[in-house]
Amino acid sequence: MISGGRSLSEEKPARRARGASLDEVDRRIIEVLTRDGRAQSTSIGEELGLSGNLVANRIRAMDAAGLMRVVALADFRVHGYKMLARIRLKVSGRAPIEVANELAASEDVLSVHITSGRYPVSCLYAFRNARAMLEAARNVYADIPGVEDVDVELLNNVYRYNPTVGPLGA
Amino acid sequence: MAMETPEYPSTDQLDRQIAVMLADDARLSFRKIAADLGVTEGTVRGRVRRLQASGLLKLVPIIDIASGGPGTGNGQQMLFITVKCANGKFDEVREGLLAMPLIRALYDANAAHRLIAVCVLSSLDEAAEITNQVLALDGIREAETEIVLQTIKYNTAIAPIATLEDIARAAASGTGDEAAD
Repeated sequence: MISGGRSLSEEKPARRARGASLDEVDRRIIEVLTRDGRAQSTSIGEELGLSGNLVANRIRAMDAAGLMRVVALADFRVHGYKMLARIRLKVSGRAPIEVANELAASEDVLSVHITSGRYPVSCLYAFRNARAMLEAARNVYADIPGVEDVDVELLNNVYRYNPTVGPLGA
Repeated sequence: MAMETPEYPSTDQLDRQIAVMLADDARLSFRKIAADLGVTEGTVRGRVRRLQASGLLKLVPIIDIASGGPGTGNGQQMLFITVKCANGKFDEVREGLLAMPLIRALYDANAAHRLIAVCVLSSLDEAAEITNQVLALDGIREAETEIVLQTIKYNTAIAPIATLEDIARAAASGTGDEAAD
């Protein structure tokens, strides 16, 4: 049971501002969702001593505020991709953000970050075949102004994938 | 030497459509998905179960990095660590990295002498801690750390998520052989 100053079971659907943070009740709900992302609100409520309505409202409110989302992560192979590479770019004479924005426009580019490293632009690029990978590596260099060097690393095996946190706003 | 990568269970168009419908809301009712795709609810349930069992689909809550993870009220930081392993030390280094809970994802790249780790950290102190731990491992020839300063794009729906263990388990139980309808 979670004890609080007010009765949680009578709580109104929470309206939260973006930037608000998660409270203890939210965290306990998320803990149950980590075990089963599709657990019914009523069964989560039973486990935590809360009403099903409250749980449903909390999940909806966290989602609406951009604090937490229950997502389906699919392996890239489910989407018909065969290979995945991390491609990192050295940039000169141009702001990395501009290069990053050009890269992000491609549907096959899954994520783009600006980092503190030698290669300030880092992306995850998915390919349907080996030829697509070679073409992408060449085109990034030839077509995006400011790209000075390209580093391609073909990802092979996954040893761990345990996401609990991510940039949902991006 | 590089470890052999086993065959992945095959998937089809229906698997992909279900994954797309669940992408932004993994709690969407199977009845709704079934109605939209013109199949039975049982088919959707069976497909989801099979994809989950083979590690190709994970239905999980993701907390926004800017609003802080468990135990913090603050935003968190992503850090990439890339290590090149000395000859013959790959397995040892990989096991050393897997023993570190701050490492949320671990891949190998380019014929398996290189490992890429993704960390999510609550502070620069944790960045120092993980850097010290990694560099103390025996068998690392070179290590590079990159702090993520800005995220331009982040696809929460498609990622390299099926681990070697997942694939081995799927191959052993035969879930990859046929679609359950």
